[in-house]
Amino acid sequence: MEKKSLWKRITGSREALLALILILLFIIVTGFNSSFLTPSSLQQLIKNNAVTMVMALGMLCVMLVGGIDISIMSTLALSGMAIGMLLKYDYISGTIVPFIIAIAIGIVCGFLVGLVISRADVPPIIATMGFMYIYRAMGYLISNGGEWASASALGSFSDFATTKFLGLNCVIWIVIVCYVFFYWFMKWTRTGRKIYAVGSNPEAADVSGINVKNIKLLVFTIMGLLSGLGGALQVGIYASAMPNMQKGGEMDVIAACVIGGVSMSGGRGTVIGALLGSLILATIVKALPLVGIGSLAQNTFKGVLILVVVVVNIILQRISDRNALKGREM
Amino acid sequence: MKRKVISALLCVAMATTLLAGCGSSSSTSTSTEAEETEETEEAEEAEETEEAEETEATGSYAGQKIALVGKSAGNAFFEIAAATFVSTVEAEGGTVDLAYPEEATADAQIKVIDNLISQDYDAICLSANDTNALQAKLEEAMDAGIAVSSFDSAPNAESRQVFVNQAGTTAVAQALVDAVYDITDGAGQWAILSATSQASNQNAWIEAMEEIIANDDTYADLELVEIAYGDDEAQKSTDQTEALLQNYPDLEVICAPTTVGIAAAAKYLQDNGSSCKLTGLGLPSEMEAYTGDGDDYSCPYFYLWDMEGLGSLSAYATMALVNGEITGALGETFTAGDLGEFTITEADDGGTEIVLGLPLEFTPENVSEYAELY
Amino acid sequence: MAGKSGRSINNVPENPVKKMIFSWEGILVLLLIAINIFCSIFSEFYNLSSLLRQMPVYLAEVFLMLGMAFILVMGEIDISVGSIVCLSATLACLVSNAGVPFPAVFLIALLVGTCCGIVNALILTNFQELPPMIVTLSTQIIFRGIAEIVLGSGGSVSVTNTDGFRAIAGKVGQVPYILFLVLILAVIFAVILGKSTFGRSVYAIGTNRLTAYYSGINVQRVRFIIYTVMGTLCGLCAMFLISNSYGANTTTGENFEMDAIAMAVFGGIMSTGGKGNIAGGVISAIIIVCLRVGLGQRNVNAQVILLIIGLLLICTVGLPNLIKNARQSLKKS
Repeated sequence: MEKKSLWKRITGSREALLALILILLFIIVTGFNSSFLTPSSLQQLIKNNAVTMVMALGMLCVMLVGGIDISIMSTLALSGMAIGMLLKYDYISGTIVPFIIAIAIGIVCGFLVGLVISRADVPPIIATMGFMYIYRAMGYLISNGGEWASASALGSFSDFATTKFLGLNCVIWIVIVCYVFFYWFMKWTRTGRKIYAVGSNPEAADVSGINVKNIKLLVFTIMGLLSGLGGALQVGIYASAMPNMQKGGEMDVIAACVIGGVSMSGGRGTVIGALLGSLILATIVKALPLVGIGSLAQNTFKGVLILVVVVVNIILQRISDRNALKGREM
Repeated sequence: MKRKVISALLCVAMATTLLAGCGSSSSTSTSTEAEETEETEEAEEAEETEEAEETEATGSYAGQKIALVGKSAGNAFFEIAAATFVSTVEAEGGTVDLAYPEEATADAQIKVIDNLISQDYDAICLSANDTNALQAKLEEAMDAGIAVSSFDSAPNAESRQVFVNQAGTTAVAQALVDAVYDITDGAGQWAILSATSQASNQNAWIEAMEEIIANDDTYADLELVEIAYGDDEAQKSTDQTEALLQNYPDLEVICAPTTVGIAAAAKYLQDNGSSCKLTGLGLPSEMEAYTGDGDDYSCPYFYLWDMEGLGSLSAYATMALVNGEITGALGETFTAGDLGEFTITEADDGGTEIVLGLPLEFTPENVSEYAELY
Repeated sequence: MAGKSGRSINNVPENPVKKMIFSWEGILVLLLIAINIFCSIFSEFYNLSSLLRQMPVYLAEVFLMLGMAFILVMGEIDISVGSIVCLSATLACLVSNAGVPFPAVFLIALLVGTCCGIVNALILTNFQELPPMIVTLSTQIIFRGIAEIVLGSGGSVSVTNTDGFRAIAGKVGQVPYILFLVLILAVIFAVILGKSTFGRSVYAIGTNRLTAYYSGINVQRVRFIIYTVMGTLCGLCAMFLISNSYGANTTTGENFEMDAIAMAVFGGIMSTGGKGNIAGGVISAIIIVCLRVGLGQRNVNAQVILLIIGLLLICTVGLPNLIKNARQSLKKS
């Protein structure tokens, strides 16, 4: 009896299913290449995907209210390039100041996006498509038409990405802190619950006294904040700022969220889901060269695997829904 | 309902007639050119170039209007050569306009070239995003009397008059193979981390490297284990570097003939204190932090070429093409300002090229000096 | 029929002239005139013949806009189109080089595109819960990935026999064939979307899928047809792209989906579904072509051109809404 309920709990919860898929992936990859499941390899996995993982949290909020944001990587490039150029020409130094500036730029960018979407009722995909062009162009313009800020120009800024704190890389700590904070924020704060409310039923939320427009403004500002953070992380981790960095990366973030069970029509999705989704995507990308798939075929496999994970998730969901219905009939 | 559709159709009709209207009004406001058909335009341009050729006897490059087309905006590597290209042409009394495609694709470059053909340029000098895809447009440009030269990355032989090669393909490949040979002490596993699978420069170098190794017994003990593609993205390059190390624990050298790839790989190897070393082609300013002797640094030495010389030589070659001093035929010679005299030689793809010189080696001793420049 | 025109500033009275000017399409035509005047002042080379000469490269993307209009009206999105273009262009070049006659090559390109469209359609209609964005995102990666595998290292192919491609790039006087084809197809698609039962069901699905389903529309069949036709249009686009480049490579068609969506949205087709028409899309496509050609002829930085297009997008969608909201709040007070 107890066993059955445990099984039911696993098949009933999306997150548990995802965790199962992730563990399965880990086992398969380790079977091919034992060096995958080592602490340093796993740390590298998170470090190299820190940007996507952190930004998946923002995308979770945006998608919860039924929106989408494809301008995020342009915001990342703008904020990252801005601190890169400031560091290169010695206007600022250190680690904290660039982070604050990048995040501030991100907040401003996100706030503008949020204003256009919430106040002018522009559909999110259109508004963010426009801002994708605008912010990316601004990134190019502030780079003086194509300068790069290299490792030596960044000075001590990128050191944080190589230092360890309590045995873990600082980048990983940043990711952990973000996830813990958002877990608390989405689950236990009034604002977090309001985001869910707006996503599940905007009219009902409006009637029950939630300012839907402000919530929308808030989620896009949060997204901007995390994009700014992502910009600083990107520049720090790779010790290089280029105006075209992460071009097209927004799709990875969206894919991570959808794999993690976040609904694109809003209202459904969790922080754990976003975490598992981005980990699954990261594992797929990292595993492809490890299991001996030729470099030319890697993209195809990546696409097929994303599709398979999403479809399998849907099929399992259907089965569990059917089981739930059966239970009710009896 | 019906009215809606009709009005919609009307709008389309209006739009097309409007276009015609605007076209003719602008032509009256500017010059007489527009009313003439394209063929006469071409003829006119041909006449113009003939006239130019006549004036060239004086040996002056003054008054030339040249367009320089990059691979994409925001490429530090290209900007350095472009800056000297512009200053060289301007010093000779010509003008240069820089034009970038929206993206690093051939499709976007086609639109740029189309734009340039409309603007009566004397010459187009470009760095091609794809070997084949620009042929149609560049032939059209040459038919319109525009001189077409290229540098850094060449379009195919039919679509250019001359290509300025930064360093002979074989010379670059030889230098890289020798570096690998030197760092591995003559035997061991090594891998290549390239840009994208269709990057024509990288493919030419890799091919030449494979050929050198296959034909020379000296390199018999070098084992090329894999060619990985990092797509010139930091994240993917890092992933690929890590995968190479995990798949081949005995890997001794990674050779990355691409600026973004080498920097990302250098960062990864250095941060992890890997025993695997790195060489390849990179920008000194990007690589300064990773170049050094001993275990603290991931890259003992690497190569590039004289970027400023490349810009300058391309400028002189393009101006000489416009002037008719050279036509791009094999064996012609011309003087490129302070750089001296150059001869047009045969390129690997069957076209012609001008080779700037040998690749430059950047060692821990000279890297910071060059990092100031590029 | 309310809501057929993309956006209305105001409920203007019945006067047909006034109605036409105040409709979104009317505003677009005015904008087109303004942009043409601006461009001809801005660039000395901007005239009809240069515009017609440069147009074909851009017009290939208008084919995609026609299909995208249906998908957007339905409230969905297809971001795999650029990759379908890439795959069909690649395969068309390869079969052409294998000595297949040109008409067959043309059919094969269309067929490849259609097959890719069917793949999208099959997945989307069998797993209706899946958002089109994520499905077409993965097929985007897959289709381009297949092209990468087929092209191998080198990633580029050129056609050896260019006769057929030169022929379809031909002109009547100065007017390229492709312009006629675009206009003919636009009229056909406009009639289908605006006049036919099929078109009405597309609007119905876009406005309220559930209601459409209960009123007897076979929603999945309509979706299947539209995604398949989108694929065919990609094949068509691929053929005309090859006629400009005599080849294909792994970056062929990159970001075409964004261009197609931008044209459609700018033309008043709402991505939230149920609104817009083809005429607006075609006019906006011409506006964007004129703008790009005109600014490009003065070598304005490509990034700045994108910035302007981005601003135009946001303003054209946002401003009417702002005005409407302001009016409403004025009325309330």
